[in-house]
Amino acid sequence: MKKGLIIIPAFLLMFIAFGLSSAQAHVFFQCPCLDDPAATGVVKAHGNIECSVGGQSIACKHMTAGDGFATTADGSETYIFGFHDVTNLYPPNGVYATKDEADAIVSTDGLLAAETSAPTINVQENQDFYLTLSIVPMVIRPDLFDPHTVHFHGYPNASAIFDGEPMSSISTNQGASLTYYYNLTGRPGTYMYHCHVEASEHMQMGMLGNLFVRAADDTTAYNTADTGFDVEYPIQVISFDPKFHQADQDIQPLPFAEMLDVYPMFNGRGYPDTINPNDLPPPQQKIDGRASIETISPTQSSQKVPSRITATAGQTILLRLSSLATVDIYTITAGGLPLQIVGKDARIYKGQSNPAGTPLFQTVNSVNIGGGESFDLLIDTTGIAPGTYFLYTSNLNELANNLQEFGGMMTEIVIAP
Amino acid sequence: MNNTLIKAYQTAVVLSLLLLVPLVAGAYDIPGITGTPGSPVFNLTTGTGTVVTGEGNQVHMWLFGVAGGTVQYTGPTLIVNEGDTVTINLTNNLPVPVSLVIPGMNVTAAVAAGPGPALPGILTKEVPADNGATTVAYTFTATQPGTYLYHSGTNPSLEVEMGLLGALIVRPAGYDAVTNRIAYNDPASTYTHENLFLLTDIDVRFHNAVENGNLTNIDFADYRREYWFINGRNLPDTLAAQNTPLLPFQPYNAIARLNPGQTILYRMIGAGRDGHPFHTHGNHHLNIGSQGQLMGAGASLAWNAFTTAVYPGDTFDALMTWTGQGIGWDVYGHASDIDNPPLGFSTGGAPGPEDFDNNGNGVYDQCNDANNLAQPGEDPAAHCVPLPVIMPNIQDLTFGMFYSGSPFLGAFGALPPGEGGFNANAGFFFMQHSHSERELTNFNIFPGGMATFLIVEPPSAPVQ
Repeated sequence: MKKGLIIIPAFLLMFIAFGLSSAQAHVFFQCPCLDDPAATGVVKAHGNIECSVGGQSIACKHMTAGDGFATTADGSETYIFGFHDVTNLYPPNGVYATKDEADAIVSTDGLLAAETSAPTINVQENQDFYLTLSIVPMVIRPDLFDPHTVHFHGYPNASAIFDGEPMSSISTNQGASLTYYYNLTGRPGTYMYHCHVEASEHMQMGMLGNLFVRAADDTTAYNTADTGFDVEYPIQVISFDPKFHQADQDIQPLPFAEMLDVYPMFNGRGYPDTINPNDLPPPQQKIDGRASIETISPTQSSQKVPSRITATAGQTILLRLSSLATVDIYTITAGGLPLQIVGKDARIYKGQSNPAGTPLFQTVNSVNIGGGESFDLLIDTTGIAPGTYFLYTSNLNELANNLQEFGGMMTEIVIAP
Repeated sequence: MNNTLIKAYQTAVVLSLLLLVPLVAGAYDIPGITGTPGSPVFNLTTGTGTVVTGEGNQVHMWLFGVAGGTVQYTGPTLIVNEGDTVTINLTNNLPVPVSLVIPGMNVTAAVAAGPGPALPGILTKEVPADNGATTVAYTFTATQPGTYLYHSGTNPSLEVEMGLLGALIVRPAGYDAVTNRIAYNDPASTYTHENLFLLTDIDVRFHNAVENGNLTNIDFADYRREYWFINGRNLPDTLAAQNTPLLPFQPYNAIARLNPGQTILYRMIGAGRDGHPFHTHGNHHLNIGSQGQLMGAGASLAWNAFTTAVYPGDTFDALMTWTGQGIGWDVYGHASDIDNPPLGFSTGGAPGPEDFDNNGNGVYDQCNDANNLAQPGEDPAAHCVPLPVIMPNIQDLTFGMFYSGSPFLGAFGALPPGEGGFNANAGFFFMQHSHSERELTNFNIFPGGMATFLIVEPPSAPVQ
């Protein structure tokens, strides 16, 4: 008995010491713009922290991944998983004066803070991109210890370590951070990103976002005159199955085979929320949930990405269209406005994807888009009568918000005189 | 994720990786059957079979097979040469008439043996349900190289759902298995290795109804997919060995492997009820041909995609490669030590478990070391550039079964007990899958479905 009494405390001490020394997860935003004394021109731009180090342009972004709620256009609230942008917490001109202070607050700021569509990633091909993902606990599903990742969908000549597909790589546990690195040189185009952990579930649950790489000449899509534009809009096709989301919230078996998307959306909103230029108000369950846990930061909107498209007559609009729908293939049309396909899957749509190749450009009234595809579409508004036009799915049964008629996957294109 | 299931998957996959056997020195081909050059004859039959799904369910199928052999899902891949006069002799052991149509080929059909007569059919002449007594010969000239689908033309909404389909590959006249591996008569279609991705899906309720003799109660309007296949298998079985006895009716796997700089020809066929946007992790693929047509002389009209939507009846021929160019850091890990500080960090640390000793001399590798010369084809701008980010502690990560433990190609790293271990050569594994992500399941069990992997093997492990 005496031996036993001695051994147990010793074992406990070892356990505690081990726990404190090496197993401490922590939030760690790796950003040369903030870490490197040689960084110059540090600014917030395009939702990033941007700077130059030794002549190399750099962009950094920090997001959390966790759960939350969203509001569908019929007023229902639905449980989601998602990403949340915390870059604004950091200097320069951030909520907090220092990186350490901001790092310390990220894990509470991210609680129940999921956004859908995820924060739009807008970077440029001359930048080195450092994307930090910090994982927060799932407040509504504390039984889920799910890690999360970012899959930069379409990044060419990828490495396994930064691919985010968890069977081939690493994924980050709750409480910890991983910084992904992407060299973007020569890789302009319209991509997308999503979590790839248990992808069928996490993507249906909303861990989806726009990601585009602006060309070095960012008045063009691909550094060619024939891909020039005046205004650009990322539009992502997303759909939700409320029964699936409810099953996830209620800790029920997940109905993959019976998945039926009845909330067809652009950028995480159904019409008419798509044309609201502002953040949607946060859902009540999110407000209540965050009030019941110790979050220091204010509760933000879950749906910050509008899809109302505006231009002045004569301008050329670049639609950066992507789909991360998990069930269906959709057809997208702009009604009377012709769409010119100039890019496909983040490559110029020319023979051999060569800017000097034979143009495969097509002017169409609609495009079919399956999950994981992207198109760069130009709308030349020269000679178009000013007014309001619509971008919508010509799968007309999808123009609904579940039981509410005439909504869904539709938004406005407003041509001003 | 269901950990018990994952462990079971891991066991299966390790067994299968051990069974991977090199076929031809230097390159691998799509497995299939060939015949006498110029006038190949394939003797096919039909029968019932049982497909084992990724999560262990068993599904009743109607299948094609080589006469005298085992029927299979998907049917035998027929490989012929441009200009061949091809004869397929079909007998039938199913309780329903069957037939063969090959979209893209001008096929004539006639009774070749047995009592006959061939049933007139709608799309083509049919083999009656007479326990193999009658043989109908389907004959065509393979005029155009490319990738084709063949399937039953009899009541196809049921019979193709039940599994009566397969792939036909027509090699171009100038093809040589060793010296001129081309998809079309154009050097722009040259490849090293070749993979088939024949994409199908099923509703298991139809199959249960057929098994129970309940054919009249099948309602095709009420359909729902539960299983999605590549070459007749679901993940993880897409990675199991060819001809594994564990899957007696599913001989084909779907493993794609290459060394950096090599090119694989992907022959993709949509043969299900739904379209499947097929996404390639790791890199874009270059679509050089579709439906038996090269996209312009010199593939001048070819286009890159990271996802190709393969609709029912579509075929695409795409070139897939991986070089690591432009990645921005040394993927071969020549850089001295990833605990040396990357840009912006003042102090490094002691060598960690992710660091490696390339030549086994007990010294962590330095990039100016003669043992760390650039690999052929390595991006010179990235040579010796250290990994730009600091990795989290090992306790903060979850590791995939195909992760080598190191960010670097060809390097292993320490992993917690029971993690990783299914990556024999420390390659990069890239999922190749349907991006209708619901289709990554086997009847509500994730992961599974229409997915496989491309393995970029390090140069030290030549792919054959």
